[in-house]
Amino acid sequence: MKERLAILVNRLIYFICRLLRPILKKDGSVTPGYYAAKIDNHILDKLEYPQLIIGITGSSGKGSTTSLVAHILENNDYKVLWNKNGSNLFNAAVTLILNHTSILTKKIKADVLLLELDESFIKQIFNKVKLTHLVITNVTRDQPARNGHVDIIFKKIADAIDNDTHIIINADDPIVARFKLFHKGNITTYGMGKTAYSLTEPLSNTIDAAYCPACHAKLVYSYYHYGHIGNYKCPKCSFKRGKVDYEAKDLDLDKQFMTINKAIVHLNKNVFFAAYYTLAAFAIAHVIGISTEDIQRELNEHVLEAKRMKKYKLDDRDVEMLESKNENALSYLQSINYIRHQPNKKTIVMGFENVSRRYRYNDLSWLYDVDFELLDDPNISKIFLIGRFKYDVYTRLMYANINKDKIILVDDLHDLISLIRQKSKGTIYTMVCFDMTAILKKLLNEVQNEDN
Amino acid sequence: MKTIKIAHLYYDLMNLYGESGNILALKQALANQKVKCDVDLLTVDSKINWNKYDIFYMGMGTEDNQECVRESIIKYREEIAKNIKKKTFIMTGNAYELFGSTINGKEALGIFPFKSKTIRNRIVGEQFAKTYFLKDIVIGFQNRGSINNNEKNHLFEIIQGNGNNQGSINEGIHINNFYGSYLLGPLLIRNPHLTDYIIKNILDSYNYPYKEIKNTPDYQSYHEYLKNFYHE
Repeated sequence: MKERLAILVNRLIYFICRLLRPILKKDGSVTPGYYAAKIDNHILDKLEYPQLIIGITGSSGKGSTTSLVAHILENNDYKVLWNKNGSNLFNAAVTLILNHTSILTKKIKADVLLLELDESFIKQIFNKVKLTHLVITNVTRDQPARNGHVDIIFKKIADAIDNDTHIIINADDPIVARFKLFHKGNITTYGMGKTAYSLTEPLSNTIDAAYCPACHAKLVYSYYHYGHIGNYKCPKCSFKRGKVDYEAKDLDLDKQFMTINKAIVHLNKNVFFAAYYTLAAFAIAHVIGISTEDIQRELNEHVLEAKRMKKYKLDDRDVEMLESKNENALSYLQSINYIRHQPNKKTIVMGFENVSRRYRYNDLSWLYDVDFELLDDPNISKIFLIGRFKYDVYTRLMYANINKDKIILVDDLHDLISLIRQKSKGTIYTMVCFDMTAILKKLLNEVQNEDN
Repeated sequence: MKTIKIAHLYYDLMNLYGESGNILALKQALANQKVKCDVDLLTVDSKINWNKYDIFYMGMGTEDNQECVRESIIKYREEIAKNIKKKTFIMTGNAYELFGSTINGKEALGIFPFKSKTIRNRIVGEQFAKTYFLKDIVIGFQNRGSINNNEKNHLFEIIQGNGNNQGSINEGIHINNFYGSYLLGPLLIRNPHLTDYIIKNILDSYNYPYKEIKNTPDYQSYHEYLKNFYHE
């Protein structure tokens, strides 16, 4: 009875949230689950699940991988229940699942339950019922105040699955590849072969997983894609990236394609990380039985529109907004690399008002894990620093040997637009996190409205 | 003035939380004094010559990496003991636990008598601290999974945050020129007055004049942070 009541309450609150959305300012993606779990905390253990329960986790790329998998599956006639909006914590999962569960039979109405999962919540969501498949994209430094460090993230994922879960892992990541040492269930591996963009030396000395998890010898890399992701081998024991089940090759970012086990696939974005989420999506779709041709059709013909950054204009200059997550060196690195590969004159806006949206800690140590040294680029005309921590970012850029004359500290955000107009040239790239992006969008909209 | 030699110990194992920034801070503080320095990156497969360097630095690592270092560093026990009073040691995060007597019951270097152990719930949070040798307070962050029972010769007295042991206000360890602290930041970047104090002591020992320079970005960030976040 309790379960049915929980499902009912979830539906009711969801309905109310949607109805009163303009007043409550809630989209009902989390609150219903919160109350349903209050009624029955074990509600998720008591439902009838579809045959396929797929989780996608990792420090980055899980959202993009999940949407691409949903796209492939839906167009191959699977009824997929998935977290489209990217809410990946416990209450959000409860809300989503109960909204699609029959009150009468407690059966989830889908062929596949597909969830993007935060590493820390897999165990709580799949406590008794276990995932049939779990894709693990990578384990890198991310929100250390919440996650501790990579070993802790790895252990959380490992604790949440058992040998009945078929894992699909990125073997280029030696932390993820530790699963090969002890997971007794099915393992499928994927990886990117050497590309034109590969590095022979790591970008910095700050590399996680430099040592073999089995025998503690220093791993030898033949190339790096980024961070600790690449082709590695232990000189003493058998731990290595080795041959993978799904190998991507011939990557061409300009032409947006690569091959996976010789099948040509299109990338929906011209960035390196698109290659990884396409590869991961291909691997899981193929593992559950979709044919190469059927996957290719969904990647090459019915192309899923990639999440585009919204482009704005300031006078006749383009503005590109690159979401860069604080406390995640890799997220900043992606933005920096993107900016570096643009050919024209550039202006950058950077900085933050708060370190995190989740907690009030002012941990700034991660600034020294980001390779800001790469911003030493003659095409960068000016870097504007905004927000409460602008002096800390300024200090970091000084240590990265960025020319002092290129940096402008903006005390009052209202002066930003006029300063950009007066003092800088070229395309404007904003490299800030969500809250600040919203503020900058507002400023740009105001300018556009004034001009009209 | 001779060239100051810095050993960045176990740089590829003990590198969590932006800790390599501390080396940048030392290099810059020396450059400000027009003193040259060399940094050697040393690790498990290096043969470390403990007589060669003026400053030894090691940062925070994961519990597993700390264990790798423990296994490696223990062979240098006697050489370290010989140099501990002569040289400057700066050990941040759980690196300084290696100089205690045990870590989780396993033998450590035993230079100091304290014991360390890992705990279930990590200690995470903002830190404000003071110390007898600095006029201004020290800022930083903690994110650690261990505690130790050192109550003597602490480096800092905590104003807000956690000491070595839960409930204690004594943080780190400071004996002669050994500076050990759990504070992250990076500590030496966010506290330029502490860095300058350490550098001044080294220059004094060579009778090299020290010039006070306080108009650096580090000092600017430090004061700005206090203005925004520290309320007495």
